[in-house]
Amino acid sequence: MTDTVRIVEEEGVRLKNPIVIEGLPDVGLVGTIAASYIVEKMKYHEIGYIESDLFPPVMVIHGGELKSPFCLYGDEDVVVVSSEIAVPPNAVYPLTRALADWFSSINAALVISVTGLPVKNRIEIEKPEVFAVGNSEVALKELRAKQVELLQEGFIAGTYAIMLRECYKRDLSAISLLAQCFPVYPDPGAAASAIDSLDKFLQLGIDVKELLEREEEIKLKARDLMRQAALSASGMQKSAEQDMPIMYR
Amino acid sequence: MDIERERRIIRAMWGYNGNLEPLCEVEDRGDEIVITLDLPRVKKENVEINTSEDSVEIRAKMNEAVCWERWGSVQRRISFQEFRKQIKLPEPIDPDKASASFKRGILRLSLPKKKRKVFIPIQ
Repeated sequence: MTDTVRIVEEEGVRLKNPIVIEGLPDVGLVGTIAASYIVEKMKYHEIGYIESDLFPPVMVIHGGELKSPFCLYGDEDVVVVSSEIAVPPNAVYPLTRALADWFSSINAALVISVTGLPVKNRIEIEKPEVFAVGNSEVALKELRAKQVELLQEGFIAGTYAIMLRECYKRDLSAISLLAQCFPVYPDPGAAASAIDSLDKFLQLGIDVKELLEREEEIKLKARDLMRQAALSASGMQKSAEQDMPIMYR
Repeated sequence: MDIERERRIIRAMWGYNGNLEPLCEVEDRGDEIVITLDLPRVKKENVEINTSEDSVEIRAKMNEAVCWERWGSVQRRISFQEFRKQIKLPEPIDPDKASASFKRGILRLSLPKKKRKVFIPIQ
């Protein structure tokens, strides 16, 4: 089934056990905003794209150049997966399987999904906290070593949740970083917190000052994608993230 | 959700009369309806709220107009200077008891319902 989603690498791309950052549209667009800012600040080049018949028939134009909305950026050591359109619910499983297969083929050292953790009182929170989920004992050990607070109980839903499982099946170490965010509004503040947390793993030294200064401009530009992501989320049981799981250990 | 309905929702975000529809969330909390709206580039004093029993209209002027150029296949230049949103309420509210707050670009409206819950003692 994974051939319904194809990862197309640019010619001549060389990767050396890269760390993968996955920032697909989700609550608060935390991953998308963080991924875009990292690509911009690190001046990463496009190294490939993702295509699928399950995606809407949409291409984007930047500077007169035609591009796929699902793009891969990076250098030898880091790969960033980003999208300018929401992932349709029926594409979540094929997309995560295809990505996990590709991460395995490039011997990814670690897969980090950046996303949001919707909180009702976000307006009262000055600096959002970041929580983490790991897919294995190795990943959890890594998170404890970096002193990232672990999410202890709850549901997680969406692309990043399936990504953790698909990576586990392929013996790939994967974590999700979840920054407290507004559920249905673009949240550059949450993206800034997520980038600060990411730096514990990547040591890229990215300053988030400019991201916070451009907060209002980003919120305006991200409105349409936020609306798309919210519509898509309704088909992914995202509301379950507010629920309490019934099983206790 | 069918594709056409989805398209209508997305299309509705863009007005061609200088207004932009803000992202908004409506929540029914039993005794009240809570509405929040994301209003970037807006100051508190430039927000105007008018409410009746069954609807709310919000207009919010931006500090500076948003202008996107060299964009789109239909038109190459578009600018917006105001957010505008009209919301039909699911139940009648008491406009005199409505309240609003504005913090970091988020407007929050608290609209108490007209029919309040009544406690029934068990005999």
